Amino acid sequence: MTIRYEIGIVDTRNVIKTLLDDYGFDFRDYALTSLKRRLEYIISLYALRDADGLIAKLKNSKDFLDQFLYDITPETTEMFRDPSFWRILRDEIVPELVKSGSSKPRIWIASFDTGEELYSLSILLKEMNLLNEVNLYCNVLSDHTIQRITSGRLDPKDMEVNEANYQRFNEKGKYSSYYRTEANSIIFDVSLIKDVNFIKQNTLIDEDPGAPKLIIFRNQAIYYNQLLSEKIFAKLANCLVAGGYLAIGVKETLENTNVSNKFTLYNEAERIYKRKTN
Amino acid sequence: MYKAVIIGGSAGSFQVITRILHALPPNYPLPVLLCLHRLKHVRSGFVEALSIKSGIPIIEPNDKEQIKPGKAYLAPANYHMYVELGNKIALSTEEPVNHSRPSIDLSFITAAQVYREKLVGIILSGANRDGAYGLKKIKDLGGLAIVQNPDECQVRTMTEASLKMTPVDFVFNTNEIIKFLQNIKV
Repeated sequence: MTIRYEIGIVDTRNVIKTLLDDYGFDFRDYALTSLKRRLEYIISLYALRDADGLIAKLKNSKDFLDQFLYDITPETTEMFRDPSFWRILRDEIVPELVKSGSSKPRIWIASFDTGEELYSLSILLKEMNLLNEVNLYCNVLSDHTIQRITSGRLDPKDMEVNEANYQRFNEKGKYSSYYRTEANSIIFDVSLIKDVNFIKQNTLIDEDPGAPKLIIFRNQAIYYNQLLSEKIFAKLANCLVAGGYLAIGVKETLENTNVSNKFTLYNEAERIYKRKTN
Repeated sequence: MYKAVIIGGSAGSFQVITRILHALPPNYPLPVLLCLHRLKHVRSGFVEALSIKSGIPIIEPNDKEQIKPGKAYLAPANYHMYVELGNKIALSTEEPVNHSRPSIDLSFITAAQVYREKLVGIILSGANRDGAYGLKKIKDLGGLAIVQNPDECQVRTMTEASLKMTPVDFVFNTNEIIKFLQNIKV
């Protein structure tokens, strides 16, 4: 949607204060420009007139909070974004995860995904016949996101892009076998994600599944400032098993952060890092 | 006087931008932000192609990269590129705007909010209307708005949309854009 309404920095801070004081959701160290844009989007979406209108609605309606948390999260917008990343996952990372050890390896989508990363990963695992050999965890901020994902209704905006991405991931596969079409909307096969464990988080990702072997955290820290990025990276580094992998966005880096000495760069183009043993 | 230059372009802008970058000296006193429409799924090759003749280094920035003078920052494929307070790049995967990611409007708007009257915005040849609103924001916040002469553009849609929306400061041919940038006051 086109956003023509703009809010100032003082207004943005007032919204942040309401979320923290009234609900304990801490957005103070989110990146200002994108947060401001999301707030402008929400104000436009619900015709709230201005930041005061948004604050009033947040204060007066507890039910609105969950919707707000859903809307504040940018959609992932693409299935199989960066197909080359998913190929590395399929050809190198996942085979190594399942090769060793007696218990099922844990894979954690730690970004606030809107379903696209999770379904892409599940399709990948299904094609490897490994869907039952791993435990999947997925962070969510709102119940609305869980409903969206478990209904299979991701409402992909650009089917051509998704289809093309998938074909670059697996040229022999049939993308259309993973969804059905109903009255112009796409409904993904929910059996793909039936065993996924959703972790309802606050904004600071205080929970973790314990000892994941792979953490997918692509394009999430771009919505944080430096301070919060480093805080969250430290949490992820602490729970990730030695030798485990952390994937961030292809235009993100752990260089010059507090965790850079805890990782080696496993694949530079796809920004996949490997946790050192220390 | 100025702190940054931002340039937006789409279809037909590649040769123009190549000529502009070629004409800039290595110690150019300002950062040059580039938001050019490009194929979403082709991540490499573009910055290399632009670099061949460029007078200044071209970077496809990572998120949170510090913006420095004498360098050009090219919006990466499939990300929006914002300017964040503190003179940093911020990337975003929010949905496309004007069917574009990167969107010129978003780069221009966020740069205008940070640099205000100290920003020069330039719209080049292009086939859609992305950038017209962004250039208006630059002008509204006191910056300088330049549009490539539509008669010189391979595709005139973008420049004409910009001229329709904003009383711009200059309509320039490529040579005049180059001369202006070479003599810019800082």
